[in-house]
Amino acid sequence: MATATATETAGPHEESRKRPYVVVFAILAVVTLAELNVYSLGIPHLETITILVVLATIKASLVVAYYMHLRYEPRWIALIPLGGLALVAVLVAALTATSAHP
Amino acid sequence: MAHPEPAGHEEEEHHGSPWPVIIAVGMGVGYVGIVTVSIPMLLAGVVIFGGGAGGWIHQDMQRPSSAFYGLAAAVESRLPQVSARKLGIWLFLATEIMFFSAIIGASWTLRLRTTTLGDAFQGPWAQPGEILNVPLTGLNTFILICSSLTMVEALAAVERGDQRKLRIFLLTTLLLGITFLSIQAFEYQHLYFGEGLTFKSAPFGVNPLYGPTFFAQTGVHGSHVTAGVLAMAYITRKAFKGGFTKENHEAVELVGLYWHFVDVVWIFLFTIVYLI
Repeated sequence: MATATATETAGPHEESRKRPYVVVFAILAVVTLAELNVYSLGIPHLETITILVVLATIKASLVVAYYMHLRYEPRWIALIPLGGLALVAVLVAALTATSAHP
Repeated sequence: MAHPEPAGHEEEEHHGSPWPVIIAVGMGVGYVGIVTVSIPMLLAGVVIFGGGAGGWIHQDMQRPSSAFYGLAAAVESRLPQVSARKLGIWLFLATEIMFFSAIIGASWTLRLRTTTLGDAFQGPWAQPGEILNVPLTGLNTFILICSSLTMVEALAAVERGDQRKLRIFLLTTLLLGITFLSIQAFEYQHLYFGEGLTFKSAPFGVNPLYGPTFFAQTGVHGSHVTAGVLAMAYITRKAFKGGFTKENHEAVELVGLYWHFVDVVWIFLFTIVYLI
């Protein structure tokens, strides 16, 4: 009986052991190193900013998906942070629009 | 509908506690103090809040962690089940996204408008590395990423029922958090007294708004890390007392969610404040 219970509960924990935490960490570390060296490439300012923002978004997405387990949660949970991000999009749009015509 | 009750729970556990009410009263009194600019009232609010939080922590420390599905039961028929507490943390994090966006957005707006701000705020924004020590903060960023790994490994450990690794990883996360704050304190001290970057002025003819926006953005983040460190100290202590089990360890997951979120904010802040 006790053995049967142990086997039952082993399922999800076996799964969690396979989650790629260390791989994600390695990617985060390498991307951070890349961020610190982007300026040494000598590419134009606007392109550099674009690259940095894309790299930051990749890192943040990895942390949210794997470390915050959003990938393993019911889909609707993602709507909560996305709701916050929707308002951020409005803010960025408003700031961009008003900054273009000071 | 039966919920996955933790093993060994023969009877309904009583979740009632007076402490959250006392915390709420303390916050209310404190806010009234802020609005009416009454320092004694603000202090009274802080004392009541602190007493309530201390009492709640003390009470919680006395018993093992338990899962609680109160609110989730109401929405279970429509949506896949998530615990009420986890739902609460995600809602809180959504408000945090908006909070940080406001701070970063305000700073960015000032940066884009330096030419239109009037005579008192003239001067260009600092170039990356001109005032700030980017390699040092790069190291600090790496420390925060390491702490996210140790945090998630702590959760994985308690999910396996590995108490020893849970304690080691939580303690490591706590120490990495303290290291991050120590480096930030050193950086602030050096910038403020060494470089002359203050709330009112900046060195090298840089715009005087550079200082306040820098301290506002990194300061609110630092205060969040401080809150995370306090929460980490709490669950680490509880872990050393054997308060978490393979079945009941939701607090580890929830503090972890907050910790990783603070890491995510730093990923963007580091890019926006230090690299661009």
